[in-house]
Amino acid sequence: MEQSGTSTLLQGAVRDLASGVVSALRSGDHTHATAPAAVDGEAEGLAVAAVRVLGADALLPSTLLHAPPLPDELAVFRKAVEAYPPRADAAPTVVWSHWAMRRTLRRLDPSFVDGPAHGPEPEPDADGLDRASWQSLTHQLAVLAALALPGEDCAVARLAGRRSLDVARGFVRAVRRRDWRQAAGAGRWLTLLDGVPETLGLETGLDFVELMGGEDPLVALQVHAARLTRTGAFA
Amino acid sequence: MPSKEKVIEELTGVPSVDIEAALDPAEVDGVYRDSRECAALALQAGGGKLLLSPPTPRPKKG
Repeated sequence: MEQSGTSTLLQGAVRDLASGVVSALRSGDHTHATAPAAVDGEAEGLAVAAVRVLGADALLPSTLLHAPPLPDELAVFRKAVEAYPPRADAAPTVVWSHWAMRRTLRRLDPSFVDGPAHGPEPEPDADGLDRASWQSLTHQLAVLAALALPGEDCAVARLAGRRSLDVARGFVRAVRRRDWRQAAGAGRWLTLLDGVPETLGLETGLDFVELMGGEDPLVALQVHAARLTRTGAFA
Repeated sequence: MPSKEKVIEELTGVPSVDIEAALDPAEVDGVYRDSRECAALALQAGGGKLLLSPPTPRPKKG
């Protein structure tokens, strides 16, 4: 299917943003390169849209480092949350991605009030994901890899934990299909889950995914997040 | 009265349909390779076990 010009521009902006996140994760400096420069007009709109697509991972360095994000960075993130609410009939990945951004914003921006003032953010429905085949589950979990954070509970993380063998099968399938983005996202989930078979060779598998697909910043981001989660570097 | 989607597009310049498509992508078509190539790549990557496993059984036609 032919892509619109906006869609192509958006994909480029998302990749640029992901590159910044990878640089920050590599350097261990949460202020490194993730904040979009102060821009106006069309460029700002594109930056906001790119943050919405990358989702909660746009602030991943701050989340993993437990450090406050830069004010500009936080402002763009908040704008993305407010500008792109999911429609009532949106797909589960769209709804959960927005939920993950709101959760991140509530944690990092005390002035952001959305939903109940106290207690956790109400969760969207995850029944559709729970009924998905192992192939579809892995695909959707990979899209929602921003939810794969150490110590962060939600319905998607719980169902991934219940179906760790399915995710492991999906990881192998993704590698064999050369779907590096899916493999990297599934691998990030697997680093968090119990009951993953040793024979999977997850660590070597992630090395291989990085070798083959690491030039794509969206792959590199997931692999780095997985490694940091595995080593507990920022715990 | 303009729709919510139209207002968002005017404010950001990016249609929400493009955002939703990026957030709900279809699975890409797989590209399979044969086992010898897998083994060579796995050895190149450091001798991992993962890709040396036999290929996933596929249903037979007919």
